[in-house]
Amino acid sequence: MDRTQLLLGVSIALFTLGLVGVMIRRNALVMLMCMELMLNGVILSLVTFSQQTATLSGAVLVFLIFVVAAAEIGIAIPIVLLLSRQRRTLDVEAYASLKG
Amino acid sequence: MNLLTVIVVLPLLGFLLNGLVGARIGKSFVSAVGCGLPILAFLAAARSLLLLQAGGGEQPLIEVAYTWATIGDRTFDIAFYFDRLSAVMALIVTGVGSLIHIYSTGYMQDDASYARYFAYLNLFLFFMLLLVLGRSLLVCFVGWEGVGLASYLLIGFWFEDPAKAAAGKKAFVTNRIGDAGFLLGMFLLYHTLGTFEMDRINAAFMGPVLPAVSASLVGILLFIGATGKSAQIPLHVWLPDAMAGPTPVSALIHAATMVTAGVYLVARLNGIYQHAPEASHVIAVVGVMTAFFAATIAIVQTDIKKVLAYSTISQLGFMFVALGVGAYGVAVFHLYTHAFFKACLFLGAGSVIHAMSGEQDIRRMGGLAKRIPITFVTFAVATAAIAGIPPLAGFFSKDEILWFAFASESGGSTLLWAVASFTALMTAFYMFRLLWLTFLTPSRMSHATEHHVHESPLSMTGVLIVLAVLSAIGGFFSIPHFLEPLLPMPVAHHELEHFEKPLVVFSVVLGLAGLAAAILVYGKGLARGDALAARFPRLHRLLSGKYFVDELYQAMLGRPLNWISDRIFLGVGDRFLIDGSLHGMVALAQRTAGRLSRVETGSLQFYVALAVAGAIGCLAWMWRHG
Amino acid sequence: MNLDSLLLLFFAGGALLGGVLMLIARHPMRVALALICSMLSLAGIYAMLGVHVIAVFQVLIYVGAVMVFMVYVIMLLDVRDPSFLRRYSHALVPGVVSGVLLVAVLGYAVLQAGGAVAPAAEPGTSYLIQPFSVEFLQTYWLHFELTSVLLVAAVVAAIAVIKGGRRNDG
Repeated sequence: MDRTQLLLGVSIALFTLGLVGVMIRRNALVMLMCMELMLNGVILSLVTFSQQTATLSGAVLVFLIFVVAAAEIGIAIPIVLLLSRQRRTLDVEAYASLKG
Repeated sequence: MNLLTVIVVLPLLGFLLNGLVGARIGKSFVSAVGCGLPILAFLAAARSLLLLQAGGGEQPLIEVAYTWATIGDRTFDIAFYFDRLSAVMALIVTGVGSLIHIYSTGYMQDDASYARYFAYLNLFLFFMLLLVLGRSLLVCFVGWEGVGLASYLLIGFWFEDPAKAAAGKKAFVTNRIGDAGFLLGMFLLYHTLGTFEMDRINAAFMGPVLPAVSASLVGILLFIGATGKSAQIPLHVWLPDAMAGPTPVSALIHAATMVTAGVYLVARLNGIYQHAPEASHVIAVVGVMTAFFAATIAIVQTDIKKVLAYSTISQLGFMFVALGVGAYGVAVFHLYTHAFFKACLFLGAGSVIHAMSGEQDIRRMGGLAKRIPITFVTFAVATAAIAGIPPLAGFFSKDEILWFAFASESGGSTLLWAVASFTALMTAFYMFRLLWLTFLTPSRMSHATEHHVHESPLSMTGVLIVLAVLSAIGGFFSIPHFLEPLLPMPVAHHELEHFEKPLVVFSVVLGLAGLAAAILVYGKGLARGDALAARFPRLHRLLSGKYFVDELYQAMLGRPLNWISDRIFLGVGDRFLIDGSLHGMVALAQRTAGRLSRVETGSLQFYVALAVAGAIGCLAWMWRHG
Repeated sequence: MNLDSLLLLFFAGGALLGGVLMLIARHPMRVALALICSMLSLAGIYAMLGVHVIAVFQVLIYVGAVMVFMVYVIMLLDVRDPSFLRRYSHALVPGVVSGVLLVAVLGYAVLQAGGAVAPAAEPGTSYLIQPFSVEFLQTYWLHFELTSVLLVAAVVAAIAVIKGGRRNDG
């Protein structure tokens, strides 16, 4: 197994761990952090390919993902804050209004 | 010249006019149209007869009015056929019909639905003329069904009374049962011969090679239809109930014309019956049994119209006896004379009811002879005619029937003659009983009714006089002789020929014996009759209950059918199967929706899990398929 | 098995370990710290690959801004609520199973493809700060500007959310 496959394997593993984390953890903030983990997994694979093929576009995309991730977390956390103030809990099981 | 079409269309025009605008315009318009058009039709029929006779009388007039349908290479026309038999029937229908229309202007004067009555009456004439003038069995069947419809409408004319409406329904349903046989016979004929036209059917049967169908089977099937229409056993039950309609309706439809449609059908298709000895035998037996059966019931009836109804059934039985032994012309002769005296009797009964302000029970009549003399005299003449007193019309026709019942080579027998003769005796007895109890015995009327007894207006009595005169002299025109080229007389057993004169005398004796017996029992009133009834209570109860045939039908057919309809078709079929399956589908949809909606847990993570599962599925599938 | 490979394995393992700890830890603060570990390991990997720019930005932006913000929020909120007592949601089993399946499917694809990516003849691009920046802003200047628009939008949205939240609360 060469370096590329290893890194891609790690990328897949990180992505899946993040996905599983989103699915199984109950705390809203922990869910957000797992989503960040997913993004990191993707960034890893982008960097790997970019470095491999020596093109710039992969790195640029990574740069853009950083910006987007920052903007996203800047919005997501206030939303979670406000929601938690309303429901008085961070437990996502309390946010099941879509039921039915 | 489309004379035949004119004959048929005139009453239809009357129906449309009276039905659509008559009520708005007024009684005189309705009467003028309602009576005038049938009279015109009668004149047209008479003219057609003259035309026919001018051509020698053998060559029928045929008119094709309209091509109904063309299916493939077969055409079905509405065509009219006029030969001597049609002439007799058409003249009776329009002639006696017109007289009854005129009578109705007097009888129905105070009725609210005057226009509707005349509209229906004209409608009936239209259909009856279709029946007798139609060339093909299809047109005849349209007329057949149509007179059934008109009969239903007219019997249930006062439909606000549910009993009367039920009587109309009973008539229609019983007719329909007979019509099933008629239709089967028709289809069988078409299947074998490829034509519905009656003259061609007759020609095929009388031709050199017999068609490949059992003539007896066809004959019996058609006779089943005739049984329904002409009130023979076992489909006679509707006729007594049909007395719920206005009396002129009973006279026209249930005495003179509609019920004779069955007789006409058999006479017209005599070609089939001449080659169907088994069917003819069945007809004769059913006819004589019906005659006997109805006469026994008529002896104990107390409603004036019911006596006449059973008398009609009995006389129709006589006609079928004649048909059964091959004397087709004689049957038509009896049809002709019966039309006169039975119409006269019914209209006379109507006059009596009118005079008695609606009373129909003869136990509460009596002594009317002096108070309504014209009605009495005409009624008496007609009674004598039906009893077979010479030289009135009924004597000639009934005597011929009895003679051929005895001596005909195609089915005549001593037994047949004996039962028929006994029935003739009973006929005379119950008719004279009716006459005496209604008119000649001391009055048993209630005081109020007696006060109001008055003779009927001229429109009614005039018609009665005309019909009485016809009942008297009508027998002198020998219809069998007139129809002989068409309807050959049966051959009488050679060795029995010398019985002819004695039998004539015997039938006269029977008539007089009936008269004597009636005077003996009922001459002074009800007392002796009631004593006689008390001595045979069970027989009296059987006869008064009309042999409980209605109850038998109700128990055997009515209740099981009701039960099947209610339990099986309604309960199982409709509620359980149809409603059940619909409800079941609804419930299925609801439950499925309920179960499927459990996917909507509201839990975001669960949704993510489902999305991931889907994504995995997609990926796996993509990678497996390249 | 030279130093490079060992270090690479070390950092890769660190990243994975961080990820697993994230799933297991009960206290959100520990989850955050595990994530920081994971991100730092990833930065190490990027540096080893020679993509220095990305490594720096990873530490500066991701760890320095995003995760710090996250930590502040965790410190602000009361995290001893029901989610503390029972970490896992009802979708635990389906989640784990689908995760395993996903790894299997994707891993299988990667293993099949192998090293299908053709390595470059030689590193033609430098991922050092200056050359990277020059090339970035020459070719992808539009994307850069659009990201600034996105950030402005995010700032406005954050203000709107807070303001709206305040109005609801007060």
